[in-house]
Amino acid sequence: MIEVENLTKRYGPKTAVDGLSFTVRPGVVTGFLGPNGAGKSTTMRLLVGLDSPTAGGTKVNGKPYGGHRAPLREIGVLLEARAVHPGRSARDHLLAIGATHGIGAKRVDEVLDVVGLAEVAKRRVGNFSLGMGQRLGIGVALLGDPRTVVLDEPVNGLDPDGIKWIRHLLRDLATEGRTVFVSSHLMSEMAMTAEHLVVVGRGKLVADVPVADLIASTRRGVHVRSPRTSDLVAALQGDGVRITSLGDGVVDVTGLSTEDIGTRALAGGIPLFELTPQRASLEEAYTELTRDAVEYRGTSTREAA
Amino acid sequence: MSATTIDRPVAAKSRLTFGGVVRGEWVKLRSVRSSGLTVLGGALMMLVTGLIFASTVGSDSDGANGVTDPTGITLSGVMFAQLVIGVLGVLVVSNEYSTGMIRSTLTAVPSRTPVLLGKVAVVVGTVFPAMLAVSFTVFLGGQAVMGAAKLPTAAIGDPGVLAALVGSAVTMTGVAVIGVALGSILRSTAGAISTLVVLVFLLPGLGGLLLPSSWRDNALKYLPSRASEAFTSVVPAPGLLGSSAGAVVFAAWVVGPLLLAAVLLRGRDA
Repeated sequence: MIEVENLTKRYGPKTAVDGLSFTVRPGVVTGFLGPNGAGKSTTMRLLVGLDSPTAGGTKVNGKPYGGHRAPLREIGVLLEARAVHPGRSARDHLLAIGATHGIGAKRVDEVLDVVGLAEVAKRRVGNFSLGMGQRLGIGVALLGDPRTVVLDEPVNGLDPDGIKWIRHLLRDLATEGRTVFVSSHLMSEMAMTAEHLVVVGRGKLVADVPVADLIASTRRGVHVRSPRTSDLVAALQGDGVRITSLGDGVVDVTGLSTEDIGTRALAGGIPLFELTPQRASLEEAYTELTRDAVEYRGTSTREAA
Repeated sequence: MSATTIDRPVAAKSRLTFGGVVRGEWVKLRSVRSSGLTVLGGALMMLVTGLIFASTVGSDSDGANGVTDPTGITLSGVMFAQLVIGVLGVLVVSNEYSTGMIRSTLTAVPSRTPVLLGKVAVVVGTVFPAMLAVSFTVFLGGQAVMGAAKLPTAAIGDPGVLAALVGSAVTMTGVAVIGVALGSILRSTAGAISTLVVLVFLLPGLGGLLLPSSWRDNALKYLPSRASEAFTSVVPAPGLLGSSAGAVVFAAWVVGPLLLAAVLLRGRDA
């Protein structure tokens, strides 16, 4: 369980996190989503006490992080920036961190196995690929077998195999009843793993919703293909119905269900070759939500959706 | 690819302890090359300097009359070795900032102060015994060299010799701890090493050149390297503090920066 209450962090004149409040519950994977610079990493640093908040606070499993007797058993964290001495081996890195809590070689070797680094455990971390470094960071997060797992952009640098692995890992951790909080700036990634979303933009809370609700809230029209589009348009016209031609005998219809469209077409004797409801992707829903909250936007980029 | 879940919970007894923090710092110290290299470098500096001085002293016009302090001659490497050993102290902290390791460290130990104390503990535990052994080695080797050249020598039982040997190890250990404090305060390897070099090496000479002579000697004897001379010399140079006053001043140079480092470490964002 993570509780964030009225959290504010200013660095000089810049407000990175601005009055953020939300709760992350155990048992489901919660995605932490927002454009680059939205304050995700800062929030995570505040969560484990690396930075101290300007105002407000955070609690992990009921207490401020520093108040726990065994912090590594409460929360395991992977931060975005590398946090390893490159001259040290993966195994020594884990041993050094584990030693503080009396976590020994047995658990370290177990974790190296879980993250798939057993074979390179004695190699200097400086020679690791981005993906291997990421796996080591996840190993650190799992070291204390924590009740809460917080990962900042965990799929960064992972190959497709690794991405699949991390998705399974996150779901399994949640199924075991742990709190799993994962940040990403990629909606598509969140769509694959998260059940609940906390969306931030410019340091403020934009949404705190189940993924399913977010998709449902952004309805799209129905694509209809027919050789007789003009007859079709005439048959469908009415109050609250908007029809846009997409060319090639395809029109986009909003305001009518697929059932309505099919029934009316049949009544008019109009053949339909295609009738496809357009579900908003999570990506589109997200883009709409954060449109005003994007901090860095390329000037030549046209608005999506 | 291996299993995707954790099969076994970590034993419930595992928790954060100061002993654990010290063990963690020891794993960190022994697992990077720079630690061994700096200790080795300091030891070599002591041995080479001491033996060269021992074999060249008495070869000038004064001859055997020039050898008034056979102990001090063999321990003259302390001046250089303390810098190398100080670098070890700096790196133990500044490395963590330059690599980002400090984030892993402070996440595991959110109370922070134990990390600084743990670093001091492993640096002292490593440097003191190593430099004590080196001091004895270079002393005995140097006396043998000078004895063979029919020059005056000293023995460990002579007055002040044991204190000089232990004091030399204490000096280098203290400078290493000053290094830890500077590394923690400045968070930068280059900045901390420069500050250390200025403080223990350049300031005595520079001060001699730049300060007005009326209060130069009074001020300079309070510098860490002069203060440590006061309790490591069998035949003290004129103008130094007494040996216990020197020890107190040197201790203040060690503890003061460390306190500042502790206060800053607790208060600053990592």
